[in-house]
Amino acid sequence: MAHAAAAQEKLFALREQIARLEGRSLPAMAAAKMENFAARSSGEEKLSFDIAALDDALSGGLPLDCITEIRSGSFSDAGAATGFSLSLVGLMKARKAAAGPMLWIADGFSTSEMGIPYAGGIRQFGIGSRTIFHASPRRLEDALWLAEGALESKAFIATIFEIHGNPKAFGLAESRRLSLRAKAAGRPLFLLRHAGEEEASSASFRLFVEPAPALERRLPDGSMLGGSIGHPVFNITLEKSRNPAPLSFRLEWNLHDRQFHLARDPGKSSFHKWPAHSGASLSVSADRQDCPKALGDVVAFERAS
Amino acid sequence: MRLVAIDEVAQRRSLKRGQGLAEARAMYPDIDVFDEDERADFALLEAIADWCDRYTPLVALDGKDGLFLDITGCSHLFGGEDAMLRDVLARLFQMGFDVRGSISSTPGLSSAISRFGRGGVIARENMAAALGALPVHALRLDEKTVASLLKLGLKRVANLLSMPRAPLARRFGAQMLMRLDQALGTNEEAISPRRPVAPLSAERRLGEPIQTQEDILGMTAEIASSLKLSLENRGAGGKVFELVLFRVDGRVFRISAGASRPLRDPKRISGLFSERLNAIHDDLDAGFGFEFLRLNVLQHDVFDELQADFSGEGGRETSLADFIDRVSARFGAGCLQVYQHRQSHIPERAEIFIPAIAVLERQPERSEAMPFLPQADRPLRLLRSPEPVEAFAALVPDGPPQQFRWRHVMHIVTRAEGPERIAPEWWIDDENAKERDYFRLESEFGRLFWVFRLGRYGDDPPPTWRIHGVFA
Repeated sequence: MAHAAAAQEKLFALREQIARLEGRSLPAMAAAKMENFAARSSGEEKLSFDIAALDDALSGGLPLDCITEIRSGSFSDAGAATGFSLSLVGLMKARKAAAGPMLWIADGFSTSEMGIPYAGGIRQFGIGSRTIFHASPRRLEDALWLAEGALESKAFIATIFEIHGNPKAFGLAESRRLSLRAKAAGRPLFLLRHAGEEEASSASFRLFVEPAPALERRLPDGSMLGGSIGHPVFNITLEKSRNPAPLSFRLEWNLHDRQFHLARDPGKSSFHKWPAHSGASLSVSADRQDCPKALGDVVAFERAS
Repeated sequence: MRLVAIDEVAQRRSLKRGQGLAEARAMYPDIDVFDEDERADFALLEAIADWCDRYTPLVALDGKDGLFLDITGCSHLFGGEDAMLRDVLARLFQMGFDVRGSISSTPGLSSAISRFGRGGVIARENMAAALGALPVHALRLDEKTVASLLKLGLKRVANLLSMPRAPLARRFGAQMLMRLDQALGTNEEAISPRRPVAPLSAERRLGEPIQTQEDILGMTAEIASSLKLSLENRGAGGKVFELVLFRVDGRVFRISAGASRPLRDPKRISGLFSERLNAIHDDLDAGFGFEFLRLNVLQHDVFDELQADFSGEGGRETSLADFIDRVSARFGAGCLQVYQHRQSHIPERAEIFIPAIAVLERQPERSEAMPFLPQADRPLRLLRSPEPVEAFAALVPDGPPQQFRWRHVMHIVTRAEGPERIAPEWWIDDENAKERDYFRLESEFGRLFWVFRLGRYGDDPPPTWRIHGVFA
C-alpha cells in the first residue's frame, strides 16, 4: 500500500515536471491552488477575451508571459493582422489599466510593402501615440537583439515583433530564446508574421488572422446604419493551441468599448446590387493539374524557413 | 611646376621652396619629385593635431604645416614649459617627424620663432628682442608688402620696431602694424580650436597600454567615477559623452554616445560605451594598445535628484531610459523613434517620427486632448507615399469607385464611406495643388482601404486615384 502511494507521488511529481516544461498550469497544483490561493491572484496573468468559447479554447485566456504568434496569409491581409495585434494591446490596456509604453519592432520589407503603422489609426485602438516606440532595425539579427532587450528591460507592457515570411535566421532556437526571456520577464511578445507559413516554434499560441467584412455602424437606437462600415472584424483561426482541431472565430473589435464581440454573419450589403454572375473570379486552370494531396496525417510541421 | 616642399638633403644642396622644377632638375638631374597631395597632407596634419589633444584640448591649425597649442594652465602637468616642449618634440621626432616648436605668450611670436628662429621658450621680457632678430617674412604679411619692405632695406623686424608707427601705417597699411602688435601681445589674437572644448573631461595616462574591450570599459568606468564629483558639483548629469582613445602609435579614436536622460552613474556610462564598442567592433583596431584615455562630457543637463527606493530597483522609468540608451548607442538615434503629432490635416504630415532619445517621456500616458486631432477614421498602416490605382466606374462627380486595381490585383468595392475632403496646404504645396477626397473602401473579402481622388472631374487633366493606407 505504502509502495503504491510512493509510486503515485512519483507520478505526480513527474507530471508536474512535464507540465512545467510545457508551460501549462500544474495539474496537481491546480486543485490546491483553487483551495488555498483562491484569494491571491495566480502568478501567471492571462488576457481573457470575455467570450466563453474562445476563453475555453485558450484555457482561460492568452497568457501574457510568452510569445503569441499572429500570422497572416499574405501581405494584403497585413492590415487585419496589424489591427488584431494592436487590438490585443488595446485590450490589455483596457483590462489591466496597465499604463506604459509599447514597442513596435518594424520589419523593413513589410513597412515598404504595406506602410508604416500610423499613429492616427492606432490612437483609435486605444493606444496613445505617445506610448508607442517604433524601432526600425536594419537586419533581422538587430531586430532579435531589440526584442530580447525589450523583454529583458521590462519597460514595455507589450512588444510587437513584425517579420515577414519564414526567415531562416529566426528558427526554433531563436523563438525558444525569446520565449524564455518573455517568461522570465513576464511580458508578452506578439510575433506578427506577415505572409508566413505555419512553422514549429515556441509560441504558446498561434492565431491565423484574415479580414472579414465589417458590420454596419450601430445607431443609438440599436438599429444598424445601412451601407456603413463599422468596427473592424477579424476571422481568427486558433492554429496552435491545446485543442486538437483548429477553431475559428469571427471577432469584432469594438473601438469604443475596447472589447471583442462575436460577430454575427453580415447581412447582404445594400450598397451595390451586383449581377448574379459577374464572371469567374479565378481563371480556369491550364497547363497542368493541381499538385497531389499529401498522404497521411500532419503530425508536426516541418521547418518552413 | 614649382617645388612646394624639400627634404634636408635638398636643403643642403641649396634648393629652395618655390623654385621652378625645370631649374631644379637642371641643377640636379637625379632628384626625386612627387606630386603634391594636399588632401593627404591635410589629413596627416589633422592626425597630428588629434594626437596633440593629449596635451591640451585647444589645438588649432596654423596654415598648411603648423599647429597652435594653447597650453594656458596645462604646462605644469608636464613638468613646466621647457619640459613640455621637449616632450612634444621628442615624441613627434620618434614618430618620424622633423618638428620645430616654441612657446611664447602670443601665437604670432610662437609661429614666427618656430619657422624662422631657433625655437625654444621665449620669456615675456625677451619677446621684443626675439622678434626683432627675425626677418620680416616672419610677420605673416602678404608677399607684396614683404617685397616692398625688402626693397627699402628693411630686412629685420627690429628695423620696423624702431620706426614711428604713423608713417609705417600710411605706407604699408594697417595690417602690418596689427601683425606686429599681435606678435608682441599688445593686440589680442585668438586661435580657433578645431573642436569645441568639452565642459567636463577627465583622463587617464596608462603605464601599460590596454587592448581588450573589458579593459577599456573598466577604465571608462573608472574615469567616469572621477567625473562624477564634478558633475555633482554642477548639479548636472551628462547627456552626450565622448571617449577619446589614444593608441600607442599616435592614432586617435573618438567614440561618442548619447543618453536619453542625464547620467552620472559610472556603470551606466560605461554601459553606453559597451554597446557602442560592440557596434563599431571592427573599426576599432586596438593595435598595440591604448596608452591614454579621455572621457569628455560634451553636453550636460540638469540632473533630477531623486531618492532611490530601498529595493534598489529603479523602476520602469529607468529601465526604459536604459533601453533607449542602449539601442541608440548600438544602432544610432534614428533606430528607435516615437511619434509626434503635428498641426496638419495632411495625413503624412500629421504624424512624424522623432528619435526617442531626444524626447524621453516624463509622463507617458498624458491625455491627448488636442483640438486639432481629426475625428474621422484614420488607417492603421499608411503607405510611404500614396500609390496610384486604376479606379473604374467611379460615380461622377464625387462618388467612390466600384472597382479598383492596385498592384495588379482587382478589388471589387462592396461598401464605401466618404468622401472626407482634405484641402492642400497652399503655404507648403503651391497654390495649384489639388484637394484630396478620401474614401474608405471595403473589398469583397473584407479588406478595408483608404483611397483618395486627387483633383476633380471636369478639370483638365482628369483626376487620378491613389491608395494611401489600409485599415484593419
